[in-house]
Amino acid sequence: MNYLASFGLQILVMVALAPLVNGIIKKVKAFSQKRKGPPLLQLYYDLWKLFKKDTVVSETTSWIFRITPYIVAGAVVLAALLVPVNLNLPSFHFAGDVILVIYLLGMARFFMVLSGLDSGSTFGGMGSSREVMISVLLEPSLLISMFTIGLIAGSTSVYSMMISSAGTGFLLFQPVYLLLFLAVFIILIAETSRIPVDDPATHLELTMVHEAMILEYSGKHLALMEWAACIKQLIFITLLANIFLPLESFLAFASPNSTLMSSLLLYLAKVIFIAVLVAVTEISTVKLRLFSVPNLAALSFILAFLGFFQYLLVGR
Amino acid sequence: MIENYLHLLSITILITAFMLVANKRVNEYIKTFQLQSLLLAIIAGILGVHHVSQTGDWEILLVAVITVAVKVVYIPYLLRTTVRKVEYKVEKDFFWNIPISILICCGLVLLSYFTITNIEDISDRFVKIFLINSTAVVLIGLFFMISRKKAIGQIIGFLVIENGLFTAAILSTNGMPMIVELGIFFDLLTAVLIMGILVFRINESFESIDIDKLKNLRG
Amino acid sequence: MEITLLLALLLLAGLFWTTAKRIHFNIMNCIGAVMLLAMAILTTYKVSVSGPIHFSMLDNLFYIDEFSVVVLDTILIVSALVCIYAIGYMNHELNHQSVSLNQIRLFYSLTYVFIFTMILVVTTQNLGVMWIAIEATTLASAFLVGFYNSKESIEAAWKYVIICSVGIALALLGIVLLYISAVNVFEGSHSNLNWSFLLENAKRLHSSILKIAFIFILVGFGTKVGLAPMHTWLPDAHSQAPAPISALLSGVLLNSAMYGIIRVLTIVNKNLGNTLYTGRLLIGAGLISITAAAIFILVQKDYKRMLAYSSIEHMGIITFGLGIFTPAAIFASLFHMLNHAFTKSLLFLASGNIYLKYKTREISKVSGIFKMMPVTGVFFLLGLFAIAGMPPFSIFASELNLITAGFAARHPWLASYLVLLIAVVFAGIASIALKMFYSTGLPPRDRDAMKPGEVNFSGIAVMGVLLFLICAGGLYLPSVIKDLLVSAVGIVKGGH
Repeated sequence: MNYLASFGLQILVMVALAPLVNGIIKKVKAFSQKRKGPPLLQLYYDLWKLFKKDTVVSETTSWIFRITPYIVAGAVVLAALLVPVNLNLPSFHFAGDVILVIYLLGMARFFMVLSGLDSGSTFGGMGSSREVMISVLLEPSLLISMFTIGLIAGSTSVYSMMISSAGTGFLLFQPVYLLLFLAVFIILIAETSRIPVDDPATHLELTMVHEAMILEYSGKHLALMEWAACIKQLIFITLLANIFLPLESFLAFASPNSTLMSSLLLYLAKVIFIAVLVAVTEISTVKLRLFSVPNLAALSFILAFLGFFQYLLVGR
Repeated sequence: MIENYLHLLSITILITAFMLVANKRVNEYIKTFQLQSLLLAIIAGILGVHHVSQTGDWEILLVAVITVAVKVVYIPYLLRTTVRKVEYKVEKDFFWNIPISILICCGLVLLSYFTITNIEDISDRFVKIFLINSTAVVLIGLFFMISRKKAIGQIIGFLVIENGLFTAAILSTNGMPMIVELGIFFDLLTAVLIMGILVFRINESFESIDIDKLKNLRG
Repeated sequence: MEITLLLALLLLAGLFWTTAKRIHFNIMNCIGAVMLLAMAILTTYKVSVSGPIHFSMLDNLFYIDEFSVVVLDTILIVSALVCIYAIGYMNHELNHQSVSLNQIRLFYSLTYVFIFTMILVVTTQNLGVMWIAIEATTLASAFLVGFYNSKESIEAAWKYVIICSVGIALALLGIVLLYISAVNVFEGSHSNLNWSFLLENAKRLHSSILKIAFIFILVGFGTKVGLAPMHTWLPDAHSQAPAPISALLSGVLLNSAMYGIIRVLTIVNKNLGNTLYTGRLLIGAGLISITAAAIFILVQKDYKRMLAYSSIEHMGIITFGLGIFTPAAIFASLFHMLNHAFTKSLLFLASGNIYLKYKTREISKVSGIFKMMPVTGVFFLLGLFAIAGMPPFSIFASELNLITAGFAARHPWLASYLVLLIAVVFAGIASIALKMFYSTGLPPRDRDAMKPGEVNFSGIAVMGVLLFLICAGGLYLPSVIKDLLVSAVGIVKGGH
């Protein structure tokens, strides 16, 4: 398989699969409420519809408002390139590491926040300030977790991290990994505006965070923003799936010469598993008051800190 | 392999200590303490079964049973009745806000790390880890005591310190001699009873269990 | 035999619940005192004639050597005297309806449990059981401290229970560490927590674990001893408890906690081979305690609190002596332990009588004691002189010994500083004594309302005995006691 094809596959999987994950989560939630829920592919229809619609841009906004969707989508897709969905794709040894991923996502967020402020509406500003608060609280624990994994792998490249954990058995029995997994899982919940932190289904002014920021967008712009959000969610899920649930060795046990196809299927299974986990979390918790979000962030920080600390003690 | 599970459990005990610091309500304190004691009992149980299967020594298993009876069932029950009887109003119960408290606790974990790693003669790596984790629990318990205003909070802090000590003893030495363990349980039970009665009396004469109000004796 | 007496003590504590007559209480109390004295004489005789007493039951749980006997005798004698004193004290309180008969019953039975736990501390050789006993002393005496059920006494009891329990918990961590070091060396042996066993094999234990264990134990038991800065419970508890309990707390409880520190100290010093490490810690803790106490004594407004701070000072002096750890200094420390126990219980008992008469603990509201209660007044004044370190009382002798030992051990500056602090304390106590005995701060109306006359006659007899003991101790030390002390010094030094 040549270089270009593997890039193509990576992008294809990340970009195309992303809206499906949302569909799965929604389906599980609906199932728990004994509803039928929207079809699995609903988000694809929505995006399609939005792309066809006209874009309305407020006259009071500056160029930042118009450029943001493209920057956000670009940054997120670039970050998605650095998080390999499959270790059999040989082309990811180049120098793009987890810090770059985190800060590409950070850049996307930065522009999103700016655009929220740019429109001058109350909700945009409110959403922006909340988004910044939450991200500031979560960044330390995300960095600590990733650095700890990096220390174990001996490199900050996402690919090497995944390789180093792929060789081992079921990692979550090891305290360090379990702690970091929980820490990153909390970050996943918070970063993707899921329930204890934000409610993706609501448009109630006082509680929304992500929705408030992109409230002024319409048409293509909105479609890009929504899509980027899905891809970002998939990036985190991929990180969790490939670093903490390296079931490749089991796969190798099942069929020694594992093909690309089978490992991709395994990846898909892991993604669905984590999506279900996210949905279950959403079902079983209630939304926190905004002022309680720091406590959740603190929990994530403790877990990350203890994970790092136990790594210092045990080595692995 | 068994060390791996014990390590995981000792970390969960440490996490429950953190949870305690992050809690706000007295009933949640009691619940968290109960959870922590249950984890302690599980540790004792695992070790106990291990010992019974290897040497036929049933002492640690007995300790596990007593832990469940005393710390998981009876003391929480006692504390709950105490809380129900004193008129407890939900108000701000802590001196620092929670994130700062948690950062301080992280510092305490590091403190315990640097203290215990300085002991050169502990050769077994896991004994060292267990000691570090459980000393951290002791320190967090101490911090919890000084960070809460309600008398109940101090009782819980004391109990958490005891839990930390117990974890240290049982994980790093496979338990103290039987007579000592039983004596410690007896002391603990009496201590909680006495503290409970004192809480009643404080409530009667100060009309609150806010230890901020105990300021008559100074100098 | 001793075990029987020990259990009889517990039985006695229970017996108080079978009756509700004051006269029965008094009789039982006298029996208790006689039992305690009998136990003192018996054990002292046995140990001085035939050496340490072993009991082979329960993994050699009990072991009494000369050093234990020194502390044990202090406990037994002071407790016996206090029990007799308590009869008069409680009768007086009952006559004035300050307390009910039920409260008195609780008081007596808890007092005997309290004494039992303290005896257990010094007779067991298992460090874990010793820890349990020391924690039990706190628990047994908590309600005794909160006996009067006033706001202040409940506050004192709460602080006492919480601070001491937490402090002691740290000592348990120290003991666990000691145990780890023992388990590391002797796998599977069952006597790992017996200090005699640890002492025998001290050289083989791991020094670095022992060092950190010693710090935890010093802080933990030090809380109970009342070393600064862990002393904050002590003035409150001592001032709020009824006088007999204050005497027990100060004279005996502090010593039995100190006993725990000394036992571990011996092991650690033997292991390390020198006294530099423990010496620094103990001398530092001692001097800080004395300094803190000296400062607080100067500004005291409450005479029982003043006595409590004086206890902190004397515990500091004993700790200082142990830090120097030459035979002369240890001798002085142990001797000081005895002297302080007797002198301070005399003072607290006298202060109890003053409290019964004046119904206040404030220095400014007490005046003209000589006129009101001449005998108690004389006892109190002589006691104050003794505690401040005046000759011919025994505290003078032990302090002099200690300071000489300090100079001899090449600690001239520290010893000089100690002298300076003792002088400050002397000044503080003297100024307070002057106020209480000579000032006319009381408004004339109040003074006229009180009739002169002694209270608590059994107590006065007890105080007479104590005064005799401290006078005699300062003038002449019988060879029996001297031999006992000398062999105790040998044990503390690490020999057998």
